[in-house]
Amino acid sequence: MPGPIDYSKINIIPDQDTTEWWEGTKRHKLLVRQCKNCGHKWFPPFPACAKCTSMDLTWFETSGKGVLHSYVVVTQPILAAFVSAVPYVVGLVELDDCHEPDGSLTRVAGVMMDDEDAVAIGLPCQVVFEPTADPNFVMPRWKISGTAQNTWKFKE
Amino acid sequence: MGALTDKYCIVGVGETQFMKASHRTPLSMACEAVKKAMDDAGLTPREVDAITSFQIADSTDVTNVAQALGIRMNYGSVAFSGGSTTEALVAHSIGLIEGGYCNTVAIFRSMNGRTGRRMGGQAPGGVVPPSRAEGDAQFYMPWGFTTPAQHFAPSAMRYLRDFGASTRSFGEVAAAFRYHASLNPKALMRAPITIEDHQRSRWVAKPFRLLDCCLETDVASAFIVTSRERAFDLRQPPVFIMGGSARTYADNPAWNHSRPRTYIQAGNFARQRAWGMAGIRPDDIDVLSIYDAFTYTVILQLEAYGFCGIGEAAEFVKDGRLRIDHQLPTNLSGGHLSEGYAHGVALVNEVVRQLRHRADDACPGWAEGRHTYDRAAGCRQVRDARFGASLGWGTETRGSSLILRSISA
Repeated sequence: MPGPIDYSKINIIPDQDTTEWWEGTKRHKLLVRQCKNCGHKWFPPFPACAKCTSMDLTWFETSGKGVLHSYVVVTQPILAAFVSAVPYVVGLVELDDCHEPDGSLTRVAGVMMDDEDAVAIGLPCQVVFEPTADPNFVMPRWKISGTAQNTWKFKE
Repeated sequence: MGALTDKYCIVGVGETQFMKASHRTPLSMACEAVKKAMDDAGLTPREVDAITSFQIADSTDVTNVAQALGIRMNYGSVAFSGGSTTEALVAHSIGLIEGGYCNTVAIFRSMNGRTGRRMGGQAPGGVVPPSRAEGDAQFYMPWGFTTPAQHFAPSAMRYLRDFGASTRSFGEVAAAFRYHASLNPKALMRAPITIEDHQRSRWVAKPFRLLDCCLETDVASAFIVTSRERAFDLRQPPVFIMGGSARTYADNPAWNHSRPRTYIQAGNFARQRAWGMAGIRPDDIDVLSIYDAFTYTVILQLEAYGFCGIGEAAEFVKDGRLRIDHQLPTNLSGGHLSEGYAHGVALVNEVVRQLRHRADDACPGWAEGRHTYDRAAGCRQVRDARFGASLGWGTETRGSSLILRSISA
């Protein structure tokens, strides 16, 4: 497991489009935006529907389950918050319940709870909500939650 | 052919040294680069009446550059944007001149990209101090996912997986450009490297190693655009603008990560327009610049602009194909990976110099277009270079292109 992340060194500034999303994480809900008119889902929470331009929107509570689409292994810390965390894996997780008939899909990034050797493209993932020192912010992270066939791991 | 193909030219190029620590202001460096571009063209400050630039992180305003050099502008502006803006500003310039808003435009980028504000936000000494996560950054900064290397890495991982490619292909790109830098007296990194050197270099953000990443550089670079009528009166052989694409976007530009295949780069959405406007094809290109923020960005753009098919570039770059005297001489200056990082402007300058047959190499007669073509003696001029292009990258979802020809084409 990667080292601790010092979230106090990142000053998150929610805005009118994102406050409810951060409120959701406090209640351990992983939300994506959803269009009331056509049902399209997306993330991050941009304020209009890219399929029908409706601005009449709601939130969809995802199951927090998905498949690891890809990842990066960060070995060199850039942000002060992550100095003790390296090496850590940022995963791009394709959400199971956001696939749409026309092929559109939603991926959410986040720091994996797992080390590089446990991570592979194609593995199932589950969201984990990590408290921070600030009670106003709970951070979604990802952990590998099972096995799969035809996985792929970077091996160079 | 485009309505304005060959009606506008690049007439002057100039830059400061590529430096690790300039100990100068971006304003001072911008003035030097614009002055050198004017001198190169044989233009006085009275004959230049527009300046444009672009910035993210470190920069200086065009107003101060105009004031310092005694240029009275009929147009001046700074675009807030990064890689792929260079070629876009050429398109702006053509539109402005064609519309009668101004006559001659100087385009520059100036930054202490290493000792000032660095890309990705690092402080000069290392990690970023406590920082604000607002706007889009709310959804990547708290996840330790901020720098270009980190952002492009998942796409690269997926590329390696989907096409069974190896990072040795990235090493081919790094080694080819370093060889060209060894022929470029201006380049910061001139000692040749091998694919094995690339493979042994330290990890930055897997699958990227140190030698996959461009240099961070203190530099200013500039060039000048004007009409062909004026170009013929000036000092250098004009280089004609045939066409291009001005910062074209893919779908999902703000959250690239939810595009089904993230490695389908913006150029795929632009190439028909660009080559159609120019009236030539990738096969016709003699000298190429590709925005090499990373070795991997070269791979994606070769595919996006049709030099090879999707998933084929890792194979395409093998056996030195991008090297001088081979099929597709690319980044002859050494590029961002080895000459230095001027946010795309210097990549255009190299193509212009090549198409003038005046690459500023070790040949004593280079300024008059006399080259030996002896690589061992430091000549980097491509023989009979007639058609060139510069491809700009601003993430997978935005890109630009500029297609040029020499006066002999």
